[in-house]
Amino acid sequence: MRFLCLLAMLASALLAQLASAAPSPWEQPAAALADQIAGILGPGQARLTMRNLSKISMDEFPAIRSLLEQDLKARGVQTSGAESANSIRVTLSENLRERLWVAEVVEGSETRVAIVHVEAGAAQPEALAGGLALRRQSLLTTTEPVLAALETGDGLVVVGPEEIVVFAHSANGWKEQNRVAIGQRKPLPRDPRSVIVLSPDGLGFEALVAGMACSGSKQPAQPEAQWTVRCRESDDPWQLTQSQRLAASSDHAENAGLTRIRAFFSTARNYFTGVVTPSVGVDLPPFYSAALLPRPDGAGLLINSIDGKVQIAETATLKLGVPTDGSSSVGLKAIAGTRDWGSDFAAFRSGCSTGTQVIASGSGEAFADSLRAYEIPAQEAIPASAPMNMDGTVTALGTAPDGKSVLAVVRRTGSQGHADSYEVDRVTASCN
Amino acid sequence: MLRQVAISCLLAALALPAAARTRPHYGGTLRVEIEGDPWQRTGGLARRMVLDGLTTIGPDGTVLPALAVRWTSENNDHRWQFWLRSGVHFQNDTALSSAAVEASLTASCGASCPWSAMRAAGSSVVLTADSPMPNLPALLAGDKYLIGFDADPHVGIVGTGPFAATGELNNPGVTRLVANETCWQGRPFLDSVEISSRKSIHDQWLDLSVGRADLVEVPAEQMRQAHDQRLAVVASPLVSLLALTVSDSGALSSPSLRAAIALAVDRGALSNVIFQKQGEIAASLLPAELTGYAFLFSTQRDLNKAHELRGGVAPPALTLAAEGGAAMQLAAQRIALNLRDAGFSVQVVSAGAPQHIDLTLRRLTLESSQPQCALESILRAASLPVPVTEQTPAGLYKVERAIVDTHLLIPLLYLPRAYAVGGRVRDLRLGPDGAPQLAGVALEDAP
Repeated sequence: MRFLCLLAMLASALLAQLASAAPSPWEQPAAALADQIAGILGPGQARLTMRNLSKISMDEFPAIRSLLEQDLKARGVQTSGAESANSIRVTLSENLRERLWVAEVVEGSETRVAIVHVEAGAAQPEALAGGLALRRQSLLTTTEPVLAALETGDGLVVVGPEEIVVFAHSANGWKEQNRVAIGQRKPLPRDPRSVIVLSPDGLGFEALVAGMACSGSKQPAQPEAQWTVRCRESDDPWQLTQSQRLAASSDHAENAGLTRIRAFFSTARNYFTGVVTPSVGVDLPPFYSAALLPRPDGAGLLINSIDGKVQIAETATLKLGVPTDGSSSVGLKAIAGTRDWGSDFAAFRSGCSTGTQVIASGSGEAFADSLRAYEIPAQEAIPASAPMNMDGTVTALGTAPDGKSVLAVVRRTGSQGHADSYEVDRVTASCN
Repeated sequence: MLRQVAISCLLAALALPAAARTRPHYGGTLRVEIEGDPWQRTGGLARRMVLDGLTTIGPDGTVLPALAVRWTSENNDHRWQFWLRSGVHFQNDTALSSAAVEASLTASCGASCPWSAMRAAGSSVVLTADSPMPNLPALLAGDKYLIGFDADPHVGIVGTGPFAATGELNNPGVTRLVANETCWQGRPFLDSVEISSRKSIHDQWLDLSVGRADLVEVPAEQMRQAHDQRLAVVASPLVSLLALTVSDSGALSSPSLRAAIALAVDRGALSNVIFQKQGEIAASLLPAELTGYAFLFSTQRDLNKAHELRGGVAPPALTLAAEGGAAMQLAAQRIALNLRDAGFSVQVVSAGAPQHIDLTLRRLTLESSQPQCALESILRAASLPVPVTEQTPAGLYKVERAIVDTHLLIPLLYLPRAYAVGGRVRDLRLGPDGAPQLAGVALEDAP
């Protein structure tokens, strides 16, 4: 027992040693500032006072002071001289873009200033949401606008307003493989949108941006091969969902019929016109988002109309594998409990509870959007998870090809010194 | 029984599906009211909506492409070439060309341009100067250099921006702009914007309260009052500099007298009393948000030192003028009192007075969140044309210190810009200079 205790103490001492051996982010700026101060003062004594006007944690303040004192001492400046006429006043400061450490060096009646730039610290880790646990994994962060994204077997395809960019896995993360101009001739709307889905053969992709359709393919036998991406002008309807299997045991070929529902998109606006093909047997209002949900006797098309109402079209024409002749009696039923929903949602198959849930963006302030999972067993959306803060505006949600996760595009509004940035997140859920 | 029915109705109403927040809708007319002229060259709201620049400034101060897609500099920033975006059309359907850009830029600044020569070269324009122009891409994002032209007297100014002027004169004092359907940045959400100009703040707030206006101005000195009245206020960071410009001729040709004036002004009282603590007292030209070193400039009033610098000599009476409205006039009166405390004799005169003016109280806009460019724009506005070539914080500090120590421009306060919005306005954002960016605004009740 005593041996084990000794071993544990040794191990913790070793870990502490390793931790202290890690380079501090403050070493370089402390040395640079000490260099400049010593250049002004020369060897001698000075009183050192420090203050923090930056967002650096006060917990780190003593370590920074200690580093600076050591660096000054190494350059011949003793900071213990309480009686010295010379003084050094160091301010840890920052502006919108960078951190600055500023030293005011006072010798008699003369004050001289030294300024060094400090690299920003690492970002804070994110907390995970509770409940039916939603998790997000950041796949990509970029300052280029992202309209939609799709994970392929070995890469990530990102659709922007003017370009499609294909990334491939590499040892250092994503590596840009292709960048292809979409080549629109007409201006995009102010709130452009896009849809990207796997091609029916599962080997390529189809992307639609206002007025344009692009397809991508590559030789399956050659993982390193470049993607071939071709774009053309198109007014074709957009495919609403991935080629996915929504029902747990519906791996039947006929189920694919469900996933071929396409909808006409208003290219000068930001919504679908309500005209879908093949017809679902009911007139749909213009809508922003749609998702197919498994229902007891088939499937339902969930839509979010542009007036904010969430409704579901449950019709025999949407039964699994039944041809869509539009002859069945149908209805558009309002879904209660969607007051907190924003304009975007996507269905996914978590395997928890009823198996399929809907992830919806929040209706709160756009700068602090959230995602939340819901079950819709009948005509009410029941929260299935806690809201997960997305630290920005969710601008697009798309179901992954395997149906088990959702890709979210989040825009972080530029403020406090940062330009707008876009993040592609993979959102998954785990059962409690 | 009635109570049970009422509760049942309430519960039923709560259970009904309610409309959620949606993506922004297209359509509708935004009604804006302002005190000034929507077409004024600096800060004119309509100009901003109709015209684009060659470049634009991002929230982090970086210079971004706009009508120019790329640019290069040569010969140590003496020569710049800007390549134009293809496929862009003015609102009257004429194509954007280098000749049009050259004509617009020449008309914008005449003989006081930062460049000495300009020529169109294919799909680009080339600007050259005798002294380096390191901040030219950022400067070209400013209001002064927006690209456009006067098409005809009925329409007015034509540009490439998200809204087009209509020239409609049905309602005097109201400028009507309509969405540019083919805008290269995308059609705006709004169908149209109506700007009622030369409206007093009182009338603007009244119209907002009764639903006759959607977006009105809130001067910095009235932000507290706006909050008290529960207006929904959207405020910018500190984007204006209240400063005294000092004439270096006449009574204040002596640097020590100018230094005495800088020490005599009670900035704290100006901030607390006139501007209701809505700004920040300033002794540097740029706020700490942009530089991180503003604390190096002392804001302390020191009457003893001011008396000492004046040297017991009673200078001739000084004239002080203020550009702007009632708050600026009040601030000028207050500064005059401060200077009298330091032994100066000061007469407050109107800004258009014929006599020599020694001190002018002005509100200068920091046109960029890029510190070099913001500093250069302030210096140009104050007729102190000093090209700012320094790019590091330490270098910029030296430049700023040298200018402040001349006391030809005495910083007093940094102020924000603010607007109040009605309940149907959504997604209003303010630009780096505090101007509302109406192309991204939508209306909750749009069809």
